Amino acid sequence: MRRLLTVFIALAALFAGPAPAATPGVTDDSIRIATIQDLSGPIAILGAPIRDGIVMRLDEENERGGVHGRKLRIAVEDSGYDPKKAILAARRLLGDGQVFAFLGNLGTPVVMATMPLIVEAGLPHLFPFSPHLATYAPTHPLKFQLFAPYRDYMDAAVRHLVGQNGYRRVGLLYQDDDYGLEVMRGVESGLAKRGLALVERTGYKRGTTDFASQIARLRAADCDLVVLATVVRETVAAAQEARKVGWPVDMLVTASGYSAQTHELGGAAVEGLYGVSVMPHPYPEGADGALNDWIQRYRTRYDADPNVWSAMGYDVADTFIQGLRAAGRDLDVAGFARAMASLNTTPGFLGGPTYHFSPEDHLGNRRGRMARIVSGRWQLVSDYLE
Amino acid sequence: MRRVGIALALFALALSGGGWSHGLAQLAMVATWALAGLGLVLIVGQTGQLSLGHGAMMAVGAYVQACLVSIGMPSPLALLPAMAAGGLLGLLASLPGRRLGGLAFGMSTLAMALIVEELLVRLVPWTGGAAGRVVPPFVIGPWTLGSPGGQAALSVAMLVLAWLVCRRLIHSRLGRAWRASREDESAAAAIGVSAGAVRQQAFAAGGVLGALAGALSAHWLGYLSPEQFGIGLSFELLMMVFVGGVRAPAGAVLGGLVMVALPQLIATLRGAVPALGSGAAGLELLLFGAVLVLIVLARPAGLAGGGR
Repeated sequence: MRRLLTVFIALAALFAGPAPAATPGVTDDSIRIATIQDLSGPIAILGAPIRDGIVMRLDEENERGGVHGRKLRIAVEDSGYDPKKAILAARRLLGDGQVFAFLGNLGTPVVMATMPLIVEAGLPHLFPFSPHLATYAPTHPLKFQLFAPYRDYMDAAVRHLVGQNGYRRVGLLYQDDDYGLEVMRGVESGLAKRGLALVERTGYKRGTTDFASQIARLRAADCDLVVLATVVRETVAAAQEARKVGWPVDMLVTASGYSAQTHELGGAAVEGLYGVSVMPHPYPEGADGALNDWIQRYRTRYDADPNVWSAMGYDVADTFIQGLRAAGRDLDVAGFARAMASLNTTPGFLGGPTYHFSPEDHLGNRRGRMARIVSGRWQLVSDYLE
Repeated sequence: MRRVGIALALFALALSGGGWSHGLAQLAMVATWALAGLGLVLIVGQTGQLSLGHGAMMAVGAYVQACLVSIGMPSPLALLPAMAAGGLLGLLASLPGRRLGGLAFGMSTLAMALIVEELLVRLVPWTGGAAGRVVPPFVIGPWTLGSPGGQAALSVAMLVLAWLVCRRLIHSRLGRAWRASREDESAAAAIGVSAGAVRQQAFAAGGVLGALAGALSAHWLGYLSPEQFGIGLSFELLMMVFVGGVRAPAGAVLGGLVMVALPQLIATLRGAVPALGSGAAGLELLLFGAVLVLIVLARPAGLAGGGR
């Protein structure tokens, strides 16, 4: 009888196949996550370093034995910034039932199209590279975000600069889209708290290369600070135009202009430019011990210098790992989400912010730092701004 | 029959990668894109006019659908005004065709696509501007089509209906007039066919189909933003029907399969060959391009062949 039972159980085990994992993507010795990047579309220039940063951090953790004995694996999908492709990629990964979480998906259309599928399937949607409010508000148990909307950073930055340097006449040059409008709202609310208002604002269309009329208009308004809601190329062009017409006005650019390319392309024209930094640029020159080691490892591995996006990718993966550690060895989605919702990260050698999550607030950080281009490179000139 | 065989084989191959839900999601996308492709088959294949603005028809359908559903109109009902708006835009797009022909007319459709994209950014109260807008799932009576199965069923049903209508149109007097104007405008005029007028009808019909595809895809994607409807989309649609075969309705379906399912198949295969790793992202694009070139070399008239 007992032998029969044994045979029966063995047969049943055979037909049942491998026991279904209690938590998708999690086995005794591994955790599999996924990321949807743009590796072939319009923002592939961001997607590739982000992916490299994420993969590097995961591999380093694996070399140290993984998290609670589990190695970290990642499936990287390329959306080409196309929501259709992103949805199919997400469905494929969800259909496999072998993914624990999505980490650092890139691009607002991609994130907005796939996020509902991911959280409906009961998986954590972590730290997407999209400034869209829906990535963390209203609070959802499975949505966590590290990057605040531009508005928050700019509000604090403008308040800080006006308080420090006593500007009275602030003007704005903005890209004529949601990015520019978002910055405008932040600047206006920051100024209002100092009892000021914008004295001039002037827009431009994406792709504009000549800023003569905009700069003339801002100059005619006698601005003493010009806020730039621009990306790298426009930042450089606007600063060059101002210097060309002999106007030495102070300028402040958003985090989108905080890039090594800005001073590489802009040279003397952007000297003295203020910027908002969310994650410091990893300059090899003058890097200290741990940071220098990291830069060397990155170079050896990818045969390229890391930039601020590589650092962000690395940071995103590091925060995920801290969440996993806090969740403990008995890993399931609910436990992980609980651990994330009370996580306070420890600062890393990259110099990024610390992230604080609470059950009510799943946005880990709202603060940026002021940076300034001095002698042809960005230098941090303030602590994190309240 | 052979075409159907090729289609089924391609689809089965693509399906094998990611389970049912992924397969059905692909089917929904293929059928939706094939709908837009059918519109192009009428415009480009039948009347021989180049349309570089088909993405704009999808955009209008998608946004009209999203707006109407958000103010409480039932989704199936909203499809009608969405399609009407697409037809109207098609009619508008074809107006320069009364004076222009060939490439010049093609450029005018490109201009229209650019204008529509710009309007999507400007008309913030309706479109949500560059920040985009969220689209709720398609609801038919008591059923919410949130799962890929329902989405695929509706898309395929619409595709079959549209296919039947297109066949009927192509074999009708109007279809013959389209082809007459394509082959020789003067000869067509001599037998009483006004090229300008019949082109207009083809554009209107194509616009209706494009808008229907846009309206459905708005629900399947769940989020609309102007950047999704840039001129890149128009070129992608055009490439799709040329690869599939621009002269026959089957071309739209085969083209849809190639454009939607082939990149997925390549991604699945890459996943199965771990040696390629995650670093080989450019590889997918390279393989996709190579396959497109091979198809065009081997079958210059598209996968579906000559047709009418």
